[in-house]
Amino acid sequence: MAKEKPSLNTVNFTAAQLMEFDACTRCGECVKYCPTYDARDKNQDIEPRDKILRWRDFMTKSYGLKARLFGPEKITPEEIKKFTDDLYNCTTCGMCGTVCPAGINTIELWESTRANLVKYGTGPYGKQSLFPKLIEEGHNPYLKQQKDRLAWMTPDIKIAEKSDIAYFIGCTAGYNQQVLGVSTARILNKLNVPFMALGEEEWCCGSALIRTGQQHINDTPRKAAIHNVEALKARGAKRVIFACAGCFRAAKIDWPRAYGKELPFEAIHMSQFLAEQLEAGKIKWEKSLDKTVTYHDPCHLGRHVGVFEEPRKVIKSMPGIKLVEMKRNRKEQRCCGAGGGVKAGIPDLALGVAKGRVNDAKETGAQALISTCPFCRRNLLDGRDELKLDMSVDDLVVLTANLMGLSTDVKPPAPGAPKESISDLFRTQTIPPKPPAEPKKEEPKPAPKAEAPKAPQKEAPKTK
Amino acid sequence: MATEGLTIFGKTVFDTLFIDWRIMVITAIISIILFIVGMYIQLEKWGRGIPEGATKSYGAWGALKMIIGKIFEKGIGHALEILILDVAFQRRTYRRRKLEWFMHILIFWGWIGLLILTIVAAAAEFAGPFLLNEDYTYFVGVWKSLELPNNIFGYMLVLGIIIAIARRLFSTGKDVQARNADIDWILIIGLLIVVITGFYAQILRGDVTRELIEAYPPTFFNNITVMFHEVFTLLFCVAYLPFSKYFHMITAPLTILVNHGGE
Repeated sequence: MAKEKPSLNTVNFTAAQLMEFDACTRCGECVKYCPTYDARDKNQDIEPRDKILRWRDFMTKSYGLKARLFGPEKITPEEIKKFTDDLYNCTTCGMCGTVCPAGINTIELWESTRANLVKYGTGPYGKQSLFPKLIEEGHNPYLKQQKDRLAWMTPDIKIAEKSDIAYFIGCTAGYNQQVLGVSTARILNKLNVPFMALGEEEWCCGSALIRTGQQHINDTPRKAAIHNVEALKARGAKRVIFACAGCFRAAKIDWPRAYGKELPFEAIHMSQFLAEQLEAGKIKWEKSLDKTVTYHDPCHLGRHVGVFEEPRKVIKSMPGIKLVEMKRNRKEQRCCGAGGGVKAGIPDLALGVAKGRVNDAKETGAQALISTCPFCRRNLLDGRDELKLDMSVDDLVVLTANLMGLSTDVKPPAPGAPKESISDLFRTQTIPPKPPAEPKKEEPKPAPKAEAPKAPQKEAPKTK
Repeated sequence: MATEGLTIFGKTVFDTLFIDWRIMVITAIISIILFIVGMYIQLEKWGRGIPEGATKSYGAWGALKMIIGKIFEKGIGHALEILILDVAFQRRTYRRRKLEWFMHILIFWGWIGLLILTIVAAAAEFAGPFLLNEDYTYFVGVWKSLELPNNIFGYMLVLGIIIAIARRLFSTGKDVQARNADIDWILIIGLLIVVITGFYAQILRGDVTRELIEAYPPTFFNNITVMFHEVFTLLFCVAYLPFSKYFHMITAPLTILVNHGGE
């Protein structure tokens, strides 16, 4: 009698990763720090340890000694679906890996497991499944036009056609958080740093696809990475500045893998660039701000890449500003809740985690919560609003621009524009409310017939 | 049959096991075979991985090659640094869980210490007659000089296991107990059996002199508890290892090495 095939396969895993599942000592250290486990009322199904042990069990049932002797044990589709859903209840923040005594690289492990399950057919989760089509066809996940990549530019901003310094704007700053785009550009102009931007040539960094295990679908992130690298190289970039932590992480870790060799330029985050300029004595503060602020390390900038001190250095140099640390900071920071596709796929979980982080900030007594990632900023703003706290949430670049005496105003915001388009700290602008939708004209009713199922309404997902 | 010694190539090698050496040889061979088979099954399982972009799996030997390659990716010096700081002294555990670190260090170094002393004793058994041309008194002298460190490492192990048991009994938070934690108890109880019977064996051997050996009846050397200790230890700690929960004793250090300390 032919042996049954295992219910699951081992695609997308390296040998070392399959070994890592066997390395969990079940100590539970990861459980103490997991932000989604906390936000889900300590649901044991989504703790990192439980997921590792369940997948280990799946692998043993499929390929262990008993499976070799008597054939693989069946894993029901329900069990796999449940596991998939639990796996996507994770922001891939990497806190579990940071505290793991066995040093398991959980970020890569979750991403590989997600990719395996996408191929199996149970992943990704909710709106995350729209990413491949949106990013492949439109080169951004927001259903926006490529021609609008630089639509945020104001007449005072100068962008060079060619320069050895480039600013990679990213989809979130380019389309939704214009305040970050204008602030970055104005700072560079003020510092007399000529820079270029790819504009219509800029494609999504691919992070959303990789984090959600969809990198293999039409090979989109690899194509996007190669396109961006080649476009930047062709325009003579030697240094590329990123103000988005998600894009920066992709450029530092994911792009070299896709490109197959070292990048032909240096990728640097705007906070690092500012610290460098500060060191060189080029930044002159023109204003003072008497506020106590706390700094949120974005996972993609901190734990994933290792940039912790530069943003703090910039904040500490600001006149009037007092920096206080949250209990969990630097490597042990708590995630904002937006990453790993959670903002798009499981918004209530993203909000739950954001509330946790905003409460961390509240404990410090800070008046403002500063970050260096537009996506963190967006989610923390949501958390702040949900908690109805009197605390500003803004980006380090926006704060820097203001204290350098620069305007952080964007083009007059369109009615109903996202709240994160404008600065939260320096509110000189307001967003006009969305006009009420025009009532639909009544059309003559057609003859009654059998009702067809409604197609789901298409709405651009939130990425990261 | 009294085991005063084992005759090898005309020389008498003192038999520290105090049991019929044939049983030990057979048990050791079975244990090692089972260990190798278990490791191969695990390697074969890991070798089934097919990373993104690859068309075929590594296979067992490919997996081994990949793991070794990753360990030395950043050079031998770096691998040694990780081996000492993160494997031998468990730096990652020390940073966050001091009590658990203390417990692990006691168990880990207790075992390592006993292992080293066993190797030293075994070496003395053979070095005496074969290299130094000494009679049995040489070994007895070495054996007795090892008594204190043997006891220290033994007590370290016992203390470590007591802490492990106490944590499981009195710290019932979810951070200690994973679901289906019963196998953990198999491990703890198994280790306890090893240690208790080991101390008993050690007591029997502790005051051994040539005169005493001559004074004991032949059946003494096939003491059932001592034999149980040796056989159980081999089966539990060697043969069962690749199939048990405490397989992490091999995979966790390997993972730390592969991930370069996890930093």
